[in-house]
Amino acid sequence: MRLYLRLCAAILAAGALTAAADEQPWTLEASNWEKGKDLLPEPVVKRLQKGEYWFKVVSADPGKFHHNYSQAFWDATEKNAGKYDLDEKTCGLKDKATDKIPDFVFGLPFPAVDKADSKAGCKIAWNFNMAGAQGGGGGATFTLNGVDTGGQFRRIKAFIHTRGYQGRHFGPLKDNPESLSGEAIAGALEPVDVEGVSTLTKRYWNWDGQDAVWAYVPSTRRARRVNSASRSDPVAGLDIFADDLNCYGGKVEYYQWKLVGEQTILAPLLQPYPFGSKSVSPTRQLIDTPYMPAGYEVPNAKGAPWWIQQNLVFVPRPVWIVEGQSSDPYYNFGKVIMYFDKEMYRIYWKQVHNRAGEYFYTAMCGYHFVKNDETFSAVFPNLVVGVNDKTNRAALGGRYQSSFLEQSWDPSYFSLRTLTHMTD
Amino acid sequence: MTGRGTALLVALLATLAGYLWVTERRPAPAFPAEPAPLLAVPTAAVARVELVEGERRLTAVRGERGWSDAAGRPWSQDPVSDLLAALGALRPLATVDPDPATPGDYGLGPGGRRLELAAADGRPLLALELGERNPAWTGLYARRAGERAVLLVGGVLAWELEKLRQAAPGGNP
Repeated sequence: MRLYLRLCAAILAAGALTAAADEQPWTLEASNWEKGKDLLPEPVVKRLQKGEYWFKVVSADPGKFHHNYSQAFWDATEKNAGKYDLDEKTCGLKDKATDKIPDFVFGLPFPAVDKADSKAGCKIAWNFNMAGAQGGGGGATFTLNGVDTGGQFRRIKAFIHTRGYQGRHFGPLKDNPESLSGEAIAGALEPVDVEGVSTLTKRYWNWDGQDAVWAYVPSTRRARRVNSASRSDPVAGLDIFADDLNCYGGKVEYYQWKLVGEQTILAPLLQPYPFGSKSVSPTRQLIDTPYMPAGYEVPNAKGAPWWIQQNLVFVPRPVWIVEGQSSDPYYNFGKVIMYFDKEMYRIYWKQVHNRAGEYFYTAMCGYHFVKNDETFSAVFPNLVVGVNDKTNRAALGGRYQSSFLEQSWDPSYFSLRTLTHMTD
Repeated sequence: MTGRGTALLVALLATLAGYLWVTERRPAPAFPAEPAPLLAVPTAAVARVELVEGERRLTAVRGERGWSDAAGRPWSQDPVSDLLAALGALRPLATVDPDPATPGDYGLGPGGRRLELAAADGRPLLALELGERNPAWTGLYARRAGERAVLLVGGVLAWELEKLRQAAPGGNP
């Protein structure tokens, strides 16, 4: 009997050790690429095999990871069960009680997604949209870096400021005269040839309205309305697109969505658990985050010059695989394949085909979470590595070291007046 | 104006009109014709899909209740429909080699992958040999059965074929 107990104890100890070992960070690289062949999109595995990419894989406790979003967010999500449906024609969000677009939504509108549901893809997209909106608004100054095999060939410093009307903690804003879901101002700061070039975007909270986008060029001193399909145009000639912010930057209604599978994937994160923030005013909080240097910035770096060398970890996460396709003839992308976290609803990777069906581009989208207590949380897109496999060039976006959350912008800030007077 | 002057002017006008008629009638420079889609008939005409990869054969047969495999097990409808929609939309991106000396360089040749589509009466609608992905991974090599030329087809076809494999009745063999 004693021998039997010892044997059981030994087996249990061995099991515990194995489990502990499983949770130790490990490196996925060319020498063990087979371990990652089902954890990454195919074009990425190809570069892993060639030694261009490697991944520091870190496990995250599922319960703790779930609480990267506030309890307030999860409580609201639970209350949303059965409350919403989708408009058949547009895939717009619909309040079941009124058959109209809801006045205000907070939390995931569809807490449970049934993969057999023909509308599952669109519901996933709505959950993604509302998870990303929970912070309410803020901004950051960031860089866009064009990188090829010879190193960096272009660098642009820019800023973005946003205000969200939907999905935010603490309820709706008092004034929303234009019935918006969100608005943003973005502008270039450096180099001097693009300094002052800026855009104002207003996204309407309706099912069929196009975004209103204005672009301002200082040399002409004019703000011009531009087509919202320009989200699929390269930004400043780089291999990165406006639609890469969060890996999808359009209205949910712009795409036809289809759930096509599920798997586990490596999620790029600055760290698995939230950062804290510090208040600098009653409405503003700052978040400091470490810089993520890429290969071209680090002497004797290994791998592709655009590959992130430090301060990025990869957490295995369960994802939905969803196809998205725009019917807008001016939109340059064909079928886009996106990998959505099944619980946190972030898109970690996307593969893009052009309209001729040719695959050409993969974007990796990294995030960090922010939370101080259970009443408020936010998730920030902090990194996009866009790789054009057709030209073997890449662009990096984000990588800011400081960002902020702002709960109360000046009501007139997101306006054409601001856009046209920024360089005054 | 004299009658002679009038006659000269009329003659000049006639010459100019003749010149215009001759030059303008020349056919306008033609844009190269867009290649036909891989599947040139409506997708509704397809009644049988077969993907052969070595020893493995996936079959989808259209019936009254949708697609089923050779043993009558139902397919999930979407992957078969998505594949047909892709074949109906995809056009060859380029002819990469009109007469390859060694088709094996492209992953083509005996024992390679084949995709065959047939109508309800058994008439073949499309027969493709499928090769490897190109080095940039943007497309894959293919050629129509009975033809020598190697085509480059958009990589979305590889994605649709993978979806088909994953959805095979009874699991991915």
